[in-house]
Amino acid sequence: MAYLELKNVSKLFGPVAAVKDFHFAVAKGAFVSLLGPSGCGKTTTLRMIAGFEMPDAGAITLDGTDITSVPPNRRGTGMVFQAYALFPNMNVRDNVAFGLEVTGHPKQEIEGRVREMLALVRLDDTAKRFPHQLSGGQQQRIALARALAIRPRVLLLDEPLSALDAVVRVALRGEIRRIQLELGITTVYVTHDQEEALSISDRVVVMNQGLIEQAGTPEEIYRQPKTRFVAAFIGTANQLNGVVVDRTQVRFGETMLRAPVPSGLKESSKVVVLVRPESIAIHAAAPTDAHNVLEGTIQTITFLGPITRLGVDIGGTRVVADMAASSRAAFTHTQHVWLSFPPDACQVMAEK
Amino acid sequence: MKQRPPVLQGLLVALFVAYMILPIIATYTFSIATKWDITLMPEGYTLEWYQTAFDHPYFSITLTNSFIVSIAAVLVGLLFIVPTTYWVHTRVPAAKPLLDLLMILPFGIPAVVLALALIRVYAFPPFARSPFLLISACVIFSMPFMYRPISNSLMAIDVHTLTESALSLGANTLQILIRVIAPNILPGILSGSLLVFATVFAEFTLANLITGASFKTFPILLVEFTRRDGRIAAALSVISFTVAWFASIAILWVSGRGRKPTEEALGAR
Ligand SMILES: Nc1ncnc2c1ncn2[C@@H]1O[C@H](COP(=O)(O)OP(=O)(O)O)[C@@H](O)[C@H]1O
Ligand SMILES: [Mg+2]
Repeated sequence: MAYLELKNVSKLFGPVAAVKDFHFAVAKGAFVSLLGPSGCGKTTTLRMIAGFEMPDAGAITLDGTDITSVPPNRRGTGMVFQAYALFPNMNVRDNVAFGLEVTGHPKQEIEGRVREMLALVRLDDTAKRFPHQLSGGQQQRIALARALAIRPRVLLLDEPLSALDAVVRVALRGEIRRIQLELGITTVYVTHDQEEALSISDRVVVMNQGLIEQAGTPEEIYRQPKTRFVAAFIGTANQLNGVVVDRTQVRFGETMLRAPVPSGLKESSKVVVLVRPESIAIHAAAPTDAHNVLEGTIQTITFLGPITRLGVDIGGTRVVADMAASSRAAFTHTQHVWLSFPPDACQVMAEK
Repeated sequence: MKQRPPVLQGLLVALFVAYMILPIIATYTFSIATKWDITLMPEGYTLEWYQTAFDHPYFSITLTNSFIVSIAAVLVGLLFIVPTTYWVHTRVPAAKPLLDLLMILPFGIPAVVLALALIRVYAFPPFARSPFLLISACVIFSMPFMYRPISNSLMAIDVHTLTESALSLGANTLQILIRVIAPNILPGILSGSLLVFATVFAEFTLANLITGASFKTFPILLVEFTRRDGRIAAALSVISFTVAWFASIAILWVSGRGRKPTEEALGAR
């Protein structure tokens, strides 16, 4: 059921189209992330939902009514910005109460709601403090409490964690998801961090140059990227350039790779075979019973904690493969190795 | 930066202080001197000149008039400048250089020209030669002093994000201006108000030409006394200084009460 719907929405800034023909629906209570590199139009899309930008084409509906021309202060959308958005002249209590006070809620109700919201973000004891007396993470939690205090119909967050350091970022994204689930509030979350998007969303919309590249669950986005852009942007994927031989084989250099070739791709057409590094096994000797074996030399060995990532040169193509840190095998720089991966770990897509 | 030798530096500071302070000390001394012309220091001291000033029938009238004009100029200036500057900063940032330029124009127009032009254009009631016209002229004349600190304060805060946060929480423009923007540019508002108050309080040319005898201000009285007795004029100057200082202290006191959340927060960025 579509609750928030963007219908073929476009936004131009002069000759530049920041968002093109954006068509997407968000179900009630869902957590949707807009994910993409800087400048791809995520913020512009979010600002159109909030009413800060007017679409040049298309319409936005919320709960069945067209809100395209409703001013931002009547939309009932709560917004959390990247940083510095708390009112510096007001203490935490006044910040959280602001939205209720300007819309004339009774005093009794305001006090109750402020307490409820501060408890929700677990900062009950900060009511008297001013924004500059709080850490960055605390400020963002208060910003969240302030946005939620007005009981918005949609919660919008624009890279709310990007100004925080790594540890706080990971902790706070969990908090945001917990609160979202607790309230069941429809949420649109903007980020350029794919790990963040995949870890907290019900659905992810990957954007590139103002267009939607792919929308789906985090698993779909990760396991079945529809375009090379998505494959490259989400996680790490090896891209092997080859030519279709038949429905189950692709020729990569001298090697025949077994991979499921989608019916849309004709024989002898140029394709890319995508393989995630965690699907690749590394062998010190030529494996006898494996598919898709590639031979090469180790160029780099990178220790990443739970895994060790090997960069292997395969006749001029660099392929990365992950090895569990618990693995007993030891490899050294410039060592000759064999890589293998199962056919169902491969995804074949057109080169262009 | 090149470090100046300490002796030279001390000398420069001393010269500057002397340049600023000596005339003030001289004025204060002169206002309580019995006779001070050929001697190095006054021949005696008295409060007679203050007595004469206080007893003058126009003393309290002109003082009141000057307060009315100065306070009105501050209030009208604030009412015009704050919303305009905010509006340009948020809605038409491209027009900011134009506004900057416009706000310097009053400096380019001599007070005499401004006064005579206004008298001719607004030659009809209720404006003609009225305190209203004087206040309006003072607002124009002192506009740059109000505009600059407010514009600078607006640049120092994230006007856009604050405005949009407040909008998304349901506030209207007036609520945003009064509850969010004004408190956060309070330092600018206060220093602008102080500068305008002091400038207008000491303004002579406009008052003399526009209202003149019909609505005398304190500087007009002061100039009249200069022609009669320099010592009484000195006493009036001292009173004028004192008013300006009290105004500064009052404004600093008000800002001190409002500063905790505002300036510290701005400083913390
Ligand atoms: N107010 C604006 N004026 C002109 N161009 C803009 C404006 N806002 C955004 N853009 C342009 O639109 C594109 C998308 O911007 P944005 O939505 O902020 O991207 P993202 O949030 O994904 O980084 C960028 O090319 C940006 O330069
Ligand atoms: Mg952005």
